[in-house]
Amino acid sequence: MTVLQTVTAGIALVGAAIFLAGVIYNITSGQLRRYQAEKAPIKGSPAQGVLWAFSLGLAPWAKESARIHWVAYLRGVIVHLGIFITAPYLIATPWLELMPEPLRIFLAAYFGICALLGLVGFSMRRADPGLRLLSTPDDYFSLGLVTVFLALASASAASTQFLPAFWVLSGITLAYAPFGKIKHFMYFFYERVFVGLVFGRRGTLEWKHE
Amino acid sequence: MSSPAVEVKDKDELTTAREIFSNMVDRRVMTALETCVRCGICTESCHYYQSNSKVEHTPYYRAEMVRRLYRHFFDPIGRAFPKWVGIKETTGDLLSKLSDIAFATCTLCHRCTFACPFGVETAEIMRVMRGVATATGHAPEMLGELANAAITKEENIDMFRDIYREQVKDLEKEAQDKLGDSKARIPVEEKGHRILYVPLAGAHTITPQAILLNAAKESWTLGMFESSNYAVFLSDPVRAKRITGRVIKEAERLGVEEIIATECGHGYTTLRWEAEKWFGKLPFRVRSILEVLDDYVKEGRIHLDPSKNLLPTTYHDSCNLGRKGGIFNEPRRVIKAAAKDYRELIPNRLESYCCGAGSGLVAEPDWMNIRMEAGKKKAEQVKSSGARLVITSCDNCRLQIADLSEHYGLNVEVSSVSELAVKALK
Repeated sequence: MTVLQTVTAGIALVGAAIFLAGVIYNITSGQLRRYQAEKAPIKGSPAQGVLWAFSLGLAPWAKESARIHWVAYLRGVIVHLGIFITAPYLIATPWLELMPEPLRIFLAAYFGICALLGLVGFSMRRADPGLRLLSTPDDYFSLGLVTVFLALASASAASTQFLPAFWVLSGITLAYAPFGKIKHFMYFFYERVFVGLVFGRRGTLEWKHE
Repeated sequence: MSSPAVEVKDKDELTTAREIFSNMVDRRVMTALETCVRCGICTESCHYYQSNSKVEHTPYYRAEMVRRLYRHFFDPIGRAFPKWVGIKETTGDLLSKLSDIAFATCTLCHRCTFACPFGVETAEIMRVMRGVATATGHAPEMLGELANAAITKEENIDMFRDIYREQVKDLEKEAQDKLGDSKARIPVEEKGHRILYVPLAGAHTITPQAILLNAAKESWTLGMFESSNYAVFLSDPVRAKRITGRVIKEAERLGVEEIIATECGHGYTTLRWEAEKWFGKLPFRVRSILEVLDDYVKEGRIHLDPSKNLLPTTYHDSCNLGRKGGIFNEPRRVIKAAAKDYRELIPNRLESYCCGAGSGLVAEPDWMNIRMEAGKKKAEQVKSSGARLVITSCDNCRLQIADLSEHYGLNVEVSSVSELAVKALK
């Protein structure tokens, strides 16, 4: 490893440490709040509800809003999938040269598409008067950060000379993630579980109906 | 510049708001507050937006306003850098703005939850905001008066009991005439029965159900208290618990096996799903009259003739009974057994639109114009279904759809499942 690589990898590691601390802080502060569980006798199934929340409940064909906003929905799915893939990719980057060429090309292309879709996110946010009104500086900063992060993930997959830049950006992104808008990445799972538990228990979430 | 008196008052109000907010934000609400990314995908899911497409009518707008208050109070980044997370107003400005938003522009219908890719429960956020508004004196007076009236009724129940029994005698006669059975009864608060039936304040929630319960040879007694609970609309847990507690105590005193809630959306949801959070495990079962009627039809305890109801008929899912209560199939099965020409509103069930008057909106006369506008989508749905008879299992929805019929010239009758079943009785 060169000095530059060592320093930038160090920045990524510091970012990861802040990320972990931030995640622990968020989880702990959430756990300190009370949880009022449903206690009434069940009508449906909480377990089935959670399963529904992570499957049919997310399926675009079963969601009126996704059918209306299918471009935004599809964009969101592609970008978020890309961001999740960057996690194992980031861990694997010190051994990037050992990665099979076709996989690297695929990742470079996929992350590149995600970065482009990140830019599309900017224009969508600016184009819609409602979104423009309510968007915060944090929204734009977070979107920009993730877009550059994905662009550098793409560049580094294409050429290892971009690794130091990718690691620096990774450090910044990881350090910011638990404190700004990006923290929705962890609450997403909680939210789906709550929806599944509550409405599954009440028998509201149907796989099919009469 | 504010006078010192105003500053003290404001400070007190803000302190109260902060405390109530903190108490009411549990893990579920905190998650809803933290998850939204303002993507706008939920926009069209709201019936307010469908009727008047302005940004203030989007779920993400109203939830974002509450989020600003939340960040003001509890988010370290929001406290340190308010503009960074979108806080533009002072806390006092937000508070007064939010009271209106929480009570007049959201019916807590939960439709947007299922439109959101994350499942953000904006209705739960607004419920908390209603609690904050109530505690700081910003809630609509009418809802408070109705909640207090329910509590006063319990305190003076002996004064009401004899009058109520006299009134019910007249209804009992109607039931006997309909059934051709002079032994048909409407027992009031009698011990030794299996079921305590909890009505609303209105004969239409007593007589038809009495006819059906008698026809099914059920062992039942009528309760003194109504299932409605206006403190639930205020998100006032102390008063809400007390109002529901009247029915719980009555059921315990009578030693019944089941409480059966009448066709009342929030009344059912409160008794069925919320009561055990307040009172712990109940020694009896809670069901809706819809579930009971469905069983009677299935078990052959009542026989219905669909040829007695020939009007094109549709069913409006009350948000509380359907989306929040899981009762979709039971009313449909009874209606199909009782009406010849049944047709669905599109969309329905989980994606059903609110009638536009839920969560107490119907109780406030000043909001008539708001709810007529908010119900536009429902009116369009009813119109395109071609139905002449709209069945709904919630008194709020019933009143609203009748008003919508007049306002939009729908020319439909509105009725309940029980009334339809009575008409179809063989």
